[in-house]
Amino acid sequence: MGLNDVNDWIYGCTRCGTCKNVLNLFVPSCPAGERFQLESYFPSGRQLIARGVFEGKLTLEDDDLRKRIDACTGCLSCQQQCAVYHHEHIFEIVRASRTEAVTQGFLNPAYMFMIDNLKKEDNIFGKPKAERGEWAKDLGVKDASQEKVDVLYHTGCTLSFDSELWEVPKSLIYLMRAANVDVGVMGKEETCCGGRAYEIGYLGEFIKYAEHCLETFNSLGVSKVVTSCSDGYSTFKTLYPKVNIKMRVEVLHVVEYLDQLIKEGRIQFTKNVPMKVTYHDPCHLGRHMSQGVYEPPRSILKSLPGLELVEMDRNRENAWCCGAGGGVKEANPDLALWTANERLKEAKATGATALVTSCPWCERNFKDAIKECGEEIEIYDIAEITRKAIQVDAN
Amino acid sequence: MLEVNIKNRVVKEFEKIVGRDFVSTNEADLYIYSQDMTQAEPSWPDVVVIPKSVEEVQAIIGLANREKIPVTPYVSGGNIGGLAVPLKGGILLDLKRMNRIIEVSDIDMYAVIEPGVTFGHMKAYLEKHHPNLMYTYAFSPPSTSVMANALLQGLDNLSTRYGAASHWVSGLEAVLPTGELVRIGSCAVSRSWQERVPFPDLAGLFLGWQGTTGVVTKMAVSLWPKPKHATQVSLVLMDLESAYESLRVISRTRIPDDIIGVSFAFERIVKTAGEHKKVASYPAQAPRPGDPEFIVSTEISGNTENELKAKIEVIEEVVHSTLQEGKFEGPQTWPSTTAFYPMQVLDVLSSGGGLTWIGTYGPMSNWLETVKQGCALQDKHGFTRSCYTRLMREGHFAALRWLLPFNKEDPEYVQKINELCSDQLEMVLNAGYIPYKTPVWAIRKIEELADPDWVNLHRRIKSMLDPNNIMNPGRWGAPQE
Repeated sequence: MGLNDVNDWIYGCTRCGTCKNVLNLFVPSCPAGERFQLESYFPSGRQLIARGVFEGKLTLEDDDLRKRIDACTGCLSCQQQCAVYHHEHIFEIVRASRTEAVTQGFLNPAYMFMIDNLKKEDNIFGKPKAERGEWAKDLGVKDASQEKVDVLYHTGCTLSFDSELWEVPKSLIYLMRAANVDVGVMGKEETCCGGRAYEIGYLGEFIKYAEHCLETFNSLGVSKVVTSCSDGYSTFKTLYPKVNIKMRVEVLHVVEYLDQLIKEGRIQFTKNVPMKVTYHDPCHLGRHMSQGVYEPPRSILKSLPGLELVEMDRNRENAWCCGAGGGVKEANPDLALWTANERLKEAKATGATALVTSCPWCERNFKDAIKECGEEIEIYDIAEITRKAIQVDAN
Repeated sequence: MLEVNIKNRVVKEFEKIVGRDFVSTNEADLYIYSQDMTQAEPSWPDVVVIPKSVEEVQAIIGLANREKIPVTPYVSGGNIGGLAVPLKGGILLDLKRMNRIIEVSDIDMYAVIEPGVTFGHMKAYLEKHHPNLMYTYAFSPPSTSVMANALLQGLDNLSTRYGAASHWVSGLEAVLPTGELVRIGSCAVSRSWQERVPFPDLAGLFLGWQGTTGVVTKMAVSLWPKPKHATQVSLVLMDLESAYESLRVISRTRIPDDIIGVSFAFERIVKTAGEHKKVASYPAQAPRPGDPEFIVSTEISGNTENELKAKIEVIEEVVHSTLQEGKFEGPQTWPSTTAFYPMQVLDVLSSGGGLTWIGTYGPMSNWLETVKQGCALQDKHGFTRSCYTRLMREGHFAALRWLLPFNKEDPEYVQKINELCSDQLEMVLNAGYIPYKTPVWAIRKIEELADPDWVNLHRRIKSMLDPNNIMNPGRWGAPQE
């Protein structure tokens, strides 16, 4: 599934440049393009590169050329701004270029590392599979692989292994308990969704994890799978249909589920949260979805007593990327941090003292950018900030 | 192409000037910058350099001049003329990082901008900081350069009032090919950039020269009060004679801010571009019996609703009293399109990566005959009729072109495009319509036809300003080969 599979689309681009900016706001939309300014780093440039490779005028053997392809975070902002007939396939062209590189044996060491880790430990970080459930060890959460539960909480790789972020899944468990949800986790039996493997061009690995997850979810007897990870969410909802196994379980993102629970009156807020916050829309929860999930998190935030929500100019379908997606966090950490810092500056400009989001990749990258660049703003997951509004039972 | 040892040496120098991040010899960049959306033959630069300041531009040009290396200025490459394709290789000078709006004067109504300021930037800036003022917009995407449009004498939605975009340049600053920095206009003697007069107009050394006489690093462009009320009035004409008559009589009212016309057949086929569908103007779709020939649209503005209403009444009266019954439908009023500018212009970007045209300026007195011949050529070559016209400077001349989006993947389509353009160029030159943003192959034709002393004057000026012929060589003023 290399460039031959996208040849219907690779001649669509005229390099009109519309993809470089958010329409009507006319502010930058492409992180790699904005950072490097060379045409090859913009979406239009990457499409020309694909065309050049397809025609034999460029070769993927060139490491520097592949850097341009690998600098794409897959944020899909270009697809949002462009309206030409090929516009929904711009990232697919990038992905196909990456797959073509893999097929031709031109491998990105950072990607190879991720895939090796997947093969060994079922997560791209290479952390021991046996430790995947450590975050939940003192919580007494049901083991969904051993007993029947109503809701499976798919924690995702980042939240499972990044101990700095463990308050996120823990907060969600407290909130679900407050709502009397019968929830369980897979712990060390949980695996990666495979989404990142797809984005960096390793389709075989993606299919392997897709088939495994689909069979697991379908066999557990749960009514729904809820996940905190926006990447995982969009993988389940938009990439898994590419594999010929039907998902027989409802999949919800945490923001959708919490919003539901709040509207059903199952969570009562008894504490004030006197903060001024802004919300960052994760790309995989927004533009990656045919119907972006933009309003549920805002509805949650607006329901928290004492909390004031202010918006960044680039919000919802025009949100600036956090910089972590598409393998960029691993392959080009400087670009990932630069991108995140641009977003933090934008967040600070609203006057907010905290940025709230609903994706652990975004949270990790924002926190890393704060350490690197020193912006003074707090970062919260939606579950963490929502938990502040409830009285948590110590039991 | 530069010799390797020269290239390696100058690349290191460029890296010292602008920083390593903003210099590229990577084949991906050279390939991308070698071409544009037109059918112009690709030609690769040797190096891409992206400066941020005037000082950096001067240093780059100084080095290029010493080493006699060609320099091609570029911002977004959106001109339909292949003008930023580096014919002789060398340095591709990408000016997009120079994107400041330096000054806006509310009272004198001008903006001083750098080359990288796009139509989108301009609109966003004015709406936020000077909501009572507006600039004028081209039929081009928001990422295209305001300065390039003016330097290349393009046409915008106030061109019906004021002429080609170069007409409202009220001052500029340029780096000469020999490295000096000059200012032209009132800004040369005062802090204000309000006008080019009352001096000998040295702006003519840069306007229309396609970057062959220097790099313009600042430009003052006029702004206008934003009207409180605006609307679009359009009519559909059944034949070209009626279209011509309607354009003439409407322009003589001096009411519209903009008057454009387009072939109905083209509008019919590109409707689906808005639905994200691919469109093709070749082979031509068969016309339907009874289909109109042309659509004429005018933009009208007013300080009050009454003023607007009165203007519409005048247009209606003039149309009804002049045009033959049965030859037109309308006029009909629609919401003004100005609020939507600048936009992606999907109509002409949805055919497979290619767009070209022979865009011309010529006399209204020969408009009808030229349009008929141009449409007949399209019929002969099997293309859907796609004439586009705009009245310029209240009818003192007209812009005329046939929009040719095409599929770059299809060699037959490209071949047909080249054949049609070749025939069209010959036709328009015979008709007195002169290509603007003139592609290099059209320049050579024009030089054959033009007064030799005029051609020689170009060469003398070019040679005087650019003795080493480094600036976008091969175009206007190129030495005789």
